[in-house]
Amino acid sequence: MDSDLVLDVKGVKKSYGGVEVLKGISFSLHRGETKVLIGPSGSGKSTLLRSINHLTHPDDGKVYLKGEEVTDSNIDKMRARIGFVFQDFNLFSHLTVLDNVRICQIRVNGVERDKATRRAYEELERVGLSDRADAYPAELSGGQQQRVSIARALAMDPDVLLFDEPTSALDPELTGEVVKVMQQLASDGMTMVVVTHEMSFARQAADEIIFMEKGYIVEQGDPQTLFTGAENERTRAFLNVIAEHG
Amino acid sequence: MDIYDVLIRDFPFLLKGLGVAIALLFCLLVIGLFLGLAICLIQLYGPRSRFVQWPLIVYERIFRGIPIIIMLFIFFYGLSGVYDISAFAAAVLAMGLRSAAYQSQIFRSAFQSVPEGQMLAARAMGMSSSKAIAYIVLPQAIRHAIGPWTNEFSSQIKETSLAYVIGVVELTRQAHYIITSTQGNVLIVFAVVALLYFILNRAGNSALYAFERKLSVPGFEK
Repeated sequence: MDSDLVLDVKGVKKSYGGVEVLKGISFSLHRGETKVLIGPSGSGKSTLLRSINHLTHPDDGKVYLKGEEVTDSNIDKMRARIGFVFQDFNLFSHLTVLDNVRICQIRVNGVERDKATRRAYEELERVGLSDRADAYPAELSGGQQQRVSIARALAMDPDVLLFDEPTSALDPELTGEVVKVMQQLASDGMTMVVVTHEMSFARQAADEIIFMEKGYIVEQGDPQTLFTGAENERTRAFLNVIAEHG
Repeated sequence: MDIYDVLIRDFPFLLKGLGVAIALLFCLLVIGLFLGLAICLIQLYGPRSRFVQWPLIVYERIFRGIPIIIMLFIFFYGLSGVYDISAFAAAVLAMGLRSAAYQSQIFRSAFQSVPEGQMLAARAMGMSSSKAIAYIVLPQAIRHAIGPWTNEFSSQIKETSLAYVIGVVELTRQAHYIITSTQGNVLIVFAVVALLYFILNRAGNSALYAFERKLSVPGFEK
């Protein structure tokens, strides 16, 4: 089997109350790749992302992480290897920044405290927040909180990082600092799937853009091709709307 | 003998009564704490089966819906026919079980005040649901619970005095013993007793308030 294959999503389906939001989605992700999921709201992007680590349980289809199927019985182990960055950060609000980045290393991966602390500082350094290690989430701006949540995910040594609209809850002037961190990660060779409306990020950092609509993948390709000459009419229409507003 | 001499002579008995009241309070709060927390966790995270959930609801309704005096009578006189139970044990049981019903509600709403994203993030990082509860949700729920729990503490201190009706020799009953030897000088004795309850109440409240401040982090202030 392909040794560089990190994530393999096969035929994932999901319905809510009789409405099928994912109609059999398949895609794969190789080591070091960044794929960006775009599409109008309600197209199923976030549901797809959450189906990968079963935050949303898929009705049908399979997800493989490095060849190993994600199942109900190994889900906690698999999730520890799949970093997830939420739209609204979800930092643990009773813990300091340092403890946020440390606690899952210790309690999930069994890393010893000193090592977890060193690792936490490394990742905080990477997102430019090592000087705020003692702050609590409520004392940080949204952009800072999101950077901490990226550090929290990175400290687990994940095989892949999933971003669920990481800048959508931020004031416009704060999106830049988060996008910058993500761009750095992409160029450092992190394997990532990103749901976002930040087209500048998609254009610069994506190896492939996947355009979704109504539960289907409508079109996928490298940013160059997609932005300059999308084959599908709906892709073009969506990109035009985004371009006008973005 | 004048009333003040009697009070000075018998003050150790009042302190002894206070000690019994504190012991009763401690036991009932501990039973209420562990049982109440267990009920809350089963209600929120346990099996949804009604064979599990309904008995808990029935329990909660019964213990919150019946006067504590009746409960004390049932647990002491009622149970004494079946099992030889001391008045103190009966009071601990009746009041502890009732406090559990109230505390389960306190904890339930405290847990429900923790945003769902906290549990979601903990699970997404690979924590099992019990780890997520222990390390992420519970520590936050406790911070939400301390305020209402302090109220429960205060009302339970005052209600320990009701254990007097089944013969527990706590502070209020000691006061009655003293009164019988003071030719009915009720006011001054009960004033002293009132003061003792009040001091206990304030001391407990201050301790809980200090605990609340100790746990306080930005984002959880009052």
